[in-house]
Amino acid sequence: MTETAAKTSRASLFATHKGVSTVALAILAVVVLGALFAPSSVSPGAILGMLPFAAVLAIIGLGQMLVVQQGGIDLSVPGAMSLAIVIISHYPTGDNSLVLPALGIAFLWAVGAGVLNALLIGYIGLNPIIATLGTNALLFGAIIGISGGTPRATAEILRTIAGDRTLGIPHTVFFALIALLVVSLLLKKTVAGRRFEAAGASRPAAFVVGLNVKAFNGMSYVWAQMLYLLGGVLLAGVTSQPTAYMGNSYLLPSVAVVVLGGTSLLGGRGFPLATVLAALFLRQLDQFVLALGVPFAVRTLVQAAAFVIGVAIYTIDWGEVRRRFQSVNRSPSGRKHS
Amino acid sequence: MITRQSKVLQALAAAGIAGLALSACTAGGGDTGATDATTETATEESTDAAAGDVPSWCGPEEITFGLLDGFGGNSWRLVTTAGGEEEAKKCPSVTEYLYADGQGDTQKAISDIQSMVATGVDAMVVFPDAGEAMLPALRSAYEAGVVTVPYRVDPGGEDGVDYDVWIGADFVQSGKDWAEWTLENFPDGAKILFLSGPAGNSQGIDEAAGAKELLSDAKYEFIGEQPFEVTNWDPALTQQVLTAAIAKYPEIDIIFSDFGPSLVGALPEFTKSGRAIPALATSDGNLLGCFWQEQQDAGNGFDMMSVATGNDNVRLAVQTAIALATGGVVPEKGEGFVHPKFEDSISGSPSPVQCRDDLPGDIYLSAQLDADSQASLLK
Repeated sequence: MTETAAKTSRASLFATHKGVSTVALAILAVVVLGALFAPSSVSPGAILGMLPFAAVLAIIGLGQMLVVQQGGIDLSVPGAMSLAIVIISHYPTGDNSLVLPALGIAFLWAVGAGVLNALLIGYIGLNPIIATLGTNALLFGAIIGISGGTPRATAEILRTIAGDRTLGIPHTVFFALIALLVVSLLLKKTVAGRRFEAAGASRPAAFVVGLNVKAFNGMSYVWAQMLYLLGGVLLAGVTSQPTAYMGNSYLLPSVAVVVLGGTSLLGGRGFPLATVLAALFLRQLDQFVLALGVPFAVRTLVQAAAFVIGVAIYTIDWGEVRRRFQSVNRSPSGRKHS
Repeated sequence: MITRQSKVLQALAAAGIAGLALSACTAGGGDTGATDATTETATEESTDAAAGDVPSWCGPEEITFGLLDGFGGNSWRLVTTAGGEEEAKKCPSVTEYLYADGQGDTQKAISDIQSMVATGVDAMVVFPDAGEAMLPALRSAYEAGVVTVPYRVDPGGEDGVDYDVWIGADFVQSGKDWAEWTLENFPDGAKILFLSGPAGNSQGIDEAAGAKELLSDAKYEFIGEQPFEVTNWDPALTQQVLTAAIAKYPEIDIIFSDFGPSLVGALPEFTKSGRAIPALATSDGNLLGCFWQEQQDAGNGFDMMSVATGNDNVRLAVQTAIALATGGVVPEKGEGFVHPKFEDSISGSPSPVQCRDDLPGDIYLSAQLDADSQASLLK
């Protein structure tokens, strides 16, 4: 028993290490490749231009991570982000003084969507894929209802808050760092956070020790919505003229960064830092491929390949593959075949 | 015990869904009415119109008219739709006006056409966003005897076989207009970056062809992906593409773009990297005009020309459809709708760059629908 426990803890320790180091290595690789083959992708201008989008993706990824940690998945990302964008740009219609009230409205919607997901999945026990898809459709209904699908140009003040730089660093980066800090501290340094992870790692075990598993499971969707809200509002500020469906392009990347960061899709420990780094990696990969000047089709393929490779790194037991390969080569039956 | 609790929770969840759905409905109630087909009777307007001059394209036969959008989700479409409605109501013979928004869903756009035919419209103007996927639906409407006029996007097919007539837009001419301006203002050559929408979109291809026809001299170089850099007309992607281009090309003299306002978030990247904003040949938008003014005032001025963004393309289509159905004089189709030149910061003709900073950025001063009516649409 103790042996197994020791093994598990070693394994998870290794996983933390693997997540951050793998992604860090990937970033290094894309930077080095960039410097060699597409020098403009690592120029200060390109990096500063990439950072706001990486920051938004990092924030969205952190939200998705919380849900994935509970063994769930949140497909309402597009609806949630798009709704935040529509509300924050529609209500003010350029009027700075109305941005704060609009944020309040967006907040209420985010809480509503989160609670809905929480009830459907945490308490009634619906499949998260079905439930969050449903919520996503509802949110898009709200988007059309509120705006006719038409957002407005963002208010000046939001453009300043989200789009400007301080000390040469885009503001979105600060927001992402704050989100990272808050999520990491709550998750790793508070009792509730530790319980949250425990509930995700093994529901039966957590239930046996008396944790309210349903509550932890459900709350992850609410917290995630808060992060989607932040991401959506920032994205609206970064792009002065957002469209009503901008969240759509964030669904796959949001899952990708979680997986690349080493968080298991089956739930358990989450790796906030690795998730944020993975967002940085994906966006820098975009820059690299853009700077290479390859056709759009190739760009899309490279991004898809990065995702597949990322998933493969963590989900395939490479030691086992190696062992099998070796045994095939060594065993007499292997020779017989060859 | 457990069963009762879960029942209570189920009820709560159901109430939550209902609440969300209801609030979505109320929010939509007083708004742009993009929810499905909105019915309005044109009686009031027809009396107004009857008092004034009836346009020649408006014949005597009374009809029900439908305007169908494949995707109504941006301000450009909102202004365009309102323009189409305004045009239709100029004709007193149009007794009923219907509108449907496909919401970017091809299935819905097709079923919109079918339900319009079923409701018994006499003429319809369709924005076939999905291109050839819309052709069977258009053909079945045409075969059912409804005057069918697709516009702007090419659905394939032929006039008089699959639909009455397609009112396209002459994008080649837009490309030529940008090229002429370039020839005039950059006689010694220039490096040109061309940004358009999704990969392979026919608008971008036509514009590129028009531009390259006139800029065939080797001193004019098109940089970046050919025939254009793919941006999906998405401001976020535009920004990423432009950032990469700024880093990659030390010299960009002119940017051609067929969606000017989507550049506003991206152009400051030039100033941020310590470079001047290049000249711009594009389509208009109040947001862009005001951005130009702001930069001018801030000492980061740049040259710019625009062609009208083409909201009035719909008017020609509406006129044609109504003329065919009511027995009016059918307007000349020509090469399709030509986007008139609009702003030119250098020559000031036909107009200097325009900005109405008291109105929202999402209006198009080149459209016939006046600025204040456009602004009220956005409220």
